[in-house]
Amino acid sequence: MKEARKIEAAFEIIRIVASLAIAYVVALLVLYFVSDEPVKVIQQFVLGPFSSPRRIGSILNLAIPFTMCGLGMCFVYSVGKLNMLGDGIFMFSGCIVTFLGIRLGTLGLPSPVLWVILLLIGGLVGAACMYLPAWLDVKLGASVIVVSIMANTILSELSQYILQFQMRDPSTSYLASYPLDPSVSMPKFFTSSLKIQSGILVAIAFLILSVVLLHKTTLGYKMRMVGANAKMARAAGMSVASTIIIAQLLGGFLAGMGGAMEILSNYTRFQWTDTTGHGFDGLMVAVLAKKDPKYVPLTALLLAYIRIGSDVVNSSSSIPNEFVSVIQCIIILLVAAEMFLTKQRNKLICKAAEANLKQEAQSAA
Amino acid sequence: MLTWITDFLYSVIKLSAPIVFATLACDISRQAGVYNMSAEGNMLISALASVVIAGMFNSVWAGLIGGVAVGVLMAAIIAYAHLIGKTNMYLTGLAFNTAATGGTVFVMFMLCGEKTSTNAAIRSYTIPQIQIPIIDKIPVLGKILSGHYLLTYVALISVILVWFMLKRTRLGLRMRSIAENPQAAESVGISVVKVRYISFLLSGLFAGLGGAYMSMAYVSFFSRGMVAGRGWIGVSAMNIANGAPIGSSIAALFFGFTDTLSVSLQAFNIPIQFVNMIPYVATILALVIMNIVRIRREKAREKARLAKMQEKEGSAVAH
Repeated sequence: MKEARKIEAAFEIIRIVASLAIAYVVALLVLYFVSDEPVKVIQQFVLGPFSSPRRIGSILNLAIPFTMCGLGMCFVYSVGKLNMLGDGIFMFSGCIVTFLGIRLGTLGLPSPVLWVILLLIGGLVGAACMYLPAWLDVKLGASVIVVSIMANTILSELSQYILQFQMRDPSTSYLASYPLDPSVSMPKFFTSSLKIQSGILVAIAFLILSVVLLHKTTLGYKMRMVGANAKMARAAGMSVASTIIIAQLLGGFLAGMGGAMEILSNYTRFQWTDTTGHGFDGLMVAVLAKKDPKYVPLTALLLAYIRIGSDVVNSSSSIPNEFVSVIQCIIILLVAAEMFLTKQRNKLICKAAEANLKQEAQSAA
Repeated sequence: MLTWITDFLYSVIKLSAPIVFATLACDISRQAGVYNMSAEGNMLISALASVVIAGMFNSVWAGLIGGVAVGVLMAAIIAYAHLIGKTNMYLTGLAFNTAATGGTVFVMFMLCGEKTSTNAAIRSYTIPQIQIPIIDKIPVLGKILSGHYLLTYVALISVILVWFMLKRTRLGLRMRSIAENPQAAESVGISVVKVRYISFLLSGLFAGLGGAYMSMAYVSFFSRGMVAGRGWIGVSAMNIANGAPIGSSIAALFFGFTDTLSVSLQAFNIPIQFVNMIPYVATILALVIMNIVRIRREKAREKARLAKMQEKEGSAVAH
């Protein structure tokens, strides 16, 4: 038994690594065949992200929202609910925070107070939005994935409405909000060539909180229990409904704060006219991390590395960076495929069991 | 005013056709018990394939057949991942749509060096418009119903064919029985995997037709993200009628109406965002209502069962 469990655990890791390797090889093959100078392009894709301090900084900065959304997805997914609302929340929270950020600057509050207020508002907006699909799922059994995808578009349209009719700056030639007050923008630190967003501290703090909450508290245990087997959790006397709702709200809070942080760190105006895809990226980060928050920064950095690699290729050759979305799809499908490498795993488990039986027979004789 | 109304209604039909195709693609999977959300991505890929293949063979029909074939091929890939690889269908649909959004831009750029549209690089072809003999002579109605693209009428016929297939053929019966209870269907010798494969391929066929309509009838080129949520609206329409082809096609027609409304209001400075939300709000409302009805019905059934049991006990005591 013990051996079987060990083999299963090892195969989980092998599956993920193999999926990543296959997808990465596909990426390299695509680059090889579409490029006139395949060696140079592949070199840029693999090593380009590390070629300058600025690019290394870009990887870290890109991994910050991925981490926030990935952590959120860990909670959402820990109770076994595939909720994609993170995508809409990321945009909507960013929009609301901009709306407030334009006005709050005039209050004359010190910047750190403003950051805390705005980040919290971003998170709370996210949690509030998450309430609808979570409640409908628990109360009525309405499919959370369908409701969340529909609600994504509603949030996106709502953000566009606020942008166009409530905070549009008519003096810009493109569709953008009035500029944020400089006092609400979150600073970057380190040298001029390696700029790191201060949001990284927030991400680290929430990473630690998430690890503790999901693996060291009763609530976290409940969530994982509900995710593993909701019927058993109910039979054991846990309140499944409230656990599911809390997990979804936490996920919404993290995604919302991620969106707020993205706006406050990287933008001077709100100008998103569509969702940014962070919900899907968060899903990928969480799936690769096997819903365990402590692996989230690793998988977030990995995704950021692949993205920056494709950006480097995009800027220095004629190959568009959109090919990365296909790579992401392959990774998710392979990790999600239950049958991928299952035969090999079962063979090994059988072998181990047979060896065990033989040993027992020998020792009995 | 009258011409404006006839033009508007003509546009409603024109804009509904791709939504009807997307709806049928979702319906046919739903009827076989699979929640297939890949119509958006599949339509996008088929739209690009139609334009490219039509340009390659200099024929609109080659483009149409090629686009549909690519749609079916994509559905086969998804079917393989879900039925043989046992991937979660929701994840598969999401991943596929994301891959299609980026993948089409990538392929378009590789083929014609443009990242926004194929307009300049590939000669465009348009599926012919058809005048229906007698109807086009009727004053107002003729202008609304006649003169649409061939595929619009195909969409209409498809709705009836799908309805007939589901209700009146052996394949349709098998699909529905699998959706109801796959184990029971398997036990009487129906191959669940085979029937679901067929439903996926049919779903790909309709997504392919929808894609071809987008790039060879709605407009005559491919541009990035041109399906613009119509695949998702198909999912909405499917949800509203729970996969019934005629009911969900009526929902699709209604969403075609809101789509037309939003296009014609675009010129004015009116918040069309609220019009754009209608299909999605309607879906959530429909889900809420359907589930309330379901829960009520289950409760009533439970009550009736309890009452029956009590009655039996009562009569047993009396004896």
